[in-house]
Amino acid sequence: MTEHAVEVAQPLELPAVVRRRLTSAELAGLAGLGAIALLPIPFGSFGFFVGQYALIYAILGLSVVVVTGYAGLVSLMTYSFAGIGAMVTGVAMASWGWPFWLALPLAAAATIPVSIIVGVTAVRLKGLYLAIATLTFADALGETFFKYGRVTGGQSGWIVHRPSPFRSDASYYVLLLAVAMALVWMVTGLRSSRVGRAMLAVRTNEREAQALGINVYKTKLTAFLISGVLGGIGGAFLALLLTSVTRSAFQSPLVEATSILLVTVVVVGGIDRALGAFLGAVALVVQQQVFQGARFFFAYFGIYSAALLVLFLLYRPGGLMQVARLQWRLIRARPRVGIAAAAAIIGLNVGLAWLFVRLS
Amino acid sequence: MSAPLLEVRDLIVRFGGITALDHVSIDVAPGEIVGLLGPNGAGKTTLFNVISGFQKPDEGRITLRGRDIQHLLPYERVAAGLGRTFQHVRLFANLTVRENLLVAQHRHLSSGSLSAMLRLRAWRRDEEEALARAERMLDLIDLRAWEAAYPQALSYGTTRFLELASVLSLNPKVLLLDEPASGIQQKEVEALGPMLRRIRDDTGCSIVLIEHDMSLLLSLSDRVYALDFGRVIAEGSPAEITQDPQVLSSYLGRTRRAHASA
Amino acid sequence: MIAAHPVIQVTAFGLSSGATFGLLALGLVLIYRTTGAMNFSHWAIGLLAVIAYLFLANEGVPVVLAMLLALALSPIAGIAAYRLVFRKIPRANQVVTILITIGIAQLYASLAAMVLGFKQFTRLPPWLPQGKVSFVGTQLNTTDVVTIALAVGIAAGFLAWFRFTRTGRALRAVAQNREAAMLAGIDDVRSSTIAWGIGSALAALALLLVLPHVAGKQGGLITTFDITPFGTLLIPAFGAALVGGLVNLPMALAGGFAFGLVRELLVLAPKPWSDLRAVAAALLILLLLVLRTERFFVTAQEREALEA
Repeated sequence: MTEHAVEVAQPLELPAVVRRRLTSAELAGLAGLGAIALLPIPFGSFGFFVGQYALIYAILGLSVVVVTGYAGLVSLMTYSFAGIGAMVTGVAMASWGWPFWLALPLAAAATIPVSIIVGVTAVRLKGLYLAIATLTFADALGETFFKYGRVTGGQSGWIVHRPSPFRSDASYYVLLLAVAMALVWMVTGLRSSRVGRAMLAVRTNEREAQALGINVYKTKLTAFLISGVLGGIGGAFLALLLTSVTRSAFQSPLVEATSILLVTVVVVGGIDRALGAFLGAVALVVQQQVFQGARFFFAYFGIYSAALLVLFLLYRPGGLMQVARLQWRLIRARPRVGIAAAAAIIGLNVGLAWLFVRLS
Repeated sequence: MSAPLLEVRDLIVRFGGITALDHVSIDVAPGEIVGLLGPNGAGKTTLFNVISGFQKPDEGRITLRGRDIQHLLPYERVAAGLGRTFQHVRLFANLTVRENLLVAQHRHLSSGSLSAMLRLRAWRRDEEEALARAERMLDLIDLRAWEAAYPQALSYGTTRFLELASVLSLNPKVLLLDEPASGIQQKEVEALGPMLRRIRDDTGCSIVLIEHDMSLLLSLSDRVYALDFGRVIAEGSPAEITQDPQVLSSYLGRTRRAHASA
Repeated sequence: MIAAHPVIQVTAFGLSSGATFGLLALGLVLIYRTTGAMNFSHWAIGLLAVIAYLFLANEGVPVVLAMLLALALSPIAGIAAYRLVFRKIPRANQVVTILITIGIAQLYASLAAMVLGFKQFTRLPPWLPQGKVSFVGTQLNTTDVVTIALAVGIAAGFLAWFRFTRTGRALRAVAQNREAAMLAGIDDVRSSTIAWGIGSALAALALLLVLPHVAGKQGGLITTFDITPFGTLLIPAFGAALVGGLVNLPMALAGGFAFGLVRELLVLAPKPWSDLRAVAAALLILLLLVLRTERFFVTAQEREALEA
């Protein structure tokens, strides 16, 4: 099975996982994850902030993994769902005095009516129409709900406070880590299940899925609903991260641009893998920080992330997960070459980042 | 004999000025193997498309087990007991053989997304059942050796068997097979006949078979319909069909031009 | 602005901005029919022409010449995108196709933003004649009238080319049935290249018609935020294309005018409706999606071709 997967169908892999032991590859992966999780520590409070941001992007990335990676639907309104979650959290906590643990499920549930309206409209049509519909809705929401004070009683921003055990940077980081990993675990579980396999089947060959008795409309709608809920959850935690939620954060053009960035995150990480959302988020948020120093940040980073999106789609459609798999295979087959290559790649990345920070 | 399992009455399909199906009526009894004969363009695949729900007829009625299935979508017809293969093999190209079969078990499982995400007992039970059924199908169609391969690594004949296995996973009451022997090697064709008969005998399902391989069609079928120009031109046992003058002329094409100008 | 006949003036505004949507939609439909891809980067390709124009005009090149030279940049960018990137994705892979055009959109838009520079405001000289013209007792902007006339003229020329020339017919053949067209000796790649080239030129013209307009309302100045929003131009263009079921060219043009008109006429509507300007496009698109306009225009054969 060759890996120049643009010509050849990209293998998907559907394990029916019930009970098994971890392979050595998986153990290595877990070790790597642990190492990444510890990264922020030497960078102190700034490191924790970046880490928290990355974890929230990972949660939002999971939303894209389910709707696009699993079910093959392009949704450009992921950040709009986050906006709904953030604003509902803001209103519930700041205006109504609710604790976060009540605001969170409300934020998640608030996305459901929106995803039903959008989904029901477009789910019976080709995927292209859903893409157009989500773009349109993101824009429309950005122009109304997130613009007009009347909807939320005149306020344009809210201050929220993290619940008391999580006020410090480190503790909120650990909370987000736990939440993100739990969600990654759940979304991974979805893949090895009847519903998950149906989604992947619909993505791969919708006619064949129909011929096998799969209700393709219900499957697509379910994916869209789950993705909305995940977006809402991410938004709620985003509100806590920023501690101040403003409406303007979810207006055009930022909302579409961020939704596209989230797609890039997931493509870079591995579009149909829950863990890919985590990897992609870490990679892109960290790289975004490197660009922050540059004078015309958003144009440069825009070009860079767009190039990443296109290049990964063309040459590594399985994202960093695929790169990791290939690298692991190389290390098993030819250890010295493999480890040298890994070290070179890491060194190159660090060197480039240092260079860029130096020059800007 | 009991009532027909599948009843197709006066089906009419027109498009672009052509009448693809012209008052076509077909009956399939339970456990029967029915052959569909006819030259290319006679409307056989269109008939399958209409019965399985991928195409809408202009007029006509389709009844399955006494139930009108006209307004059912393709996946709903599967639930009603229909299964179908395609002229050009349709599989999931980026899934292995085993994974293709896992997907095909969809009908037999019931756990939802929540129990999957929380890995509840319902999910666990479903996964074990899916695996067991997929394994059984692998053995039934003799695909064990290929379970970890991707469809492009298989011979065309093996992919046809895989498609067959997927459809059989649905436990269909009526199986529509569109040219199952086309494009496959001789020895696989020879294995196909006994396999189909065994499937019918073991599961009791009916089979409707479109096939250009005359010997396969005639040896398998209990009854045969001959189609040409969208119409049923003859019906009967294999022996009767081979003697029918209309069938002979449509197949040999001798009087085709005469028919057209008539 | 209060005028003697607000309806006529607003209609002129509406048709003029609708002209842009219509031209964009024409290009979108052309590319979609010929290559089976919905090009989300269509507007960004047109944007590059505006940047080229800005550059040339600010260097002192006479505006009309600058405009014509700038027009050439978009087909180059579009064809480059097609041949270097887009061609490499198998037609059947819908998801990756859409995602890649989004990536190209972001790439080109960010490039444009980068060239536009670190300055907040840049001078974008208008190339259309300015001033007023009298019509049925009202004063209309010359720019609006010329825009409408130009758009209609070019669209008519394009439609005639598509219908009557050999190349145009070759493109239509490819759209109807790729395999048959290829068997008949029509080069698939060449046809797609031509489609991307002409489509991109139409996009360039569309953006060159609208952006100096926008700048004109801001005293001839344009900011990065005027050019980067993803949806502002793309959404009405999609809507216009949807009016023709994504495949019918004259209807796409008409749809563009319709979208422009609805948007502007809402200003005259009573209070709650006039606030809906921003979402007018969204609601119209919802309606068009629910109506499934495709079934009025796409033949069964074409559907097969589009689904590869």
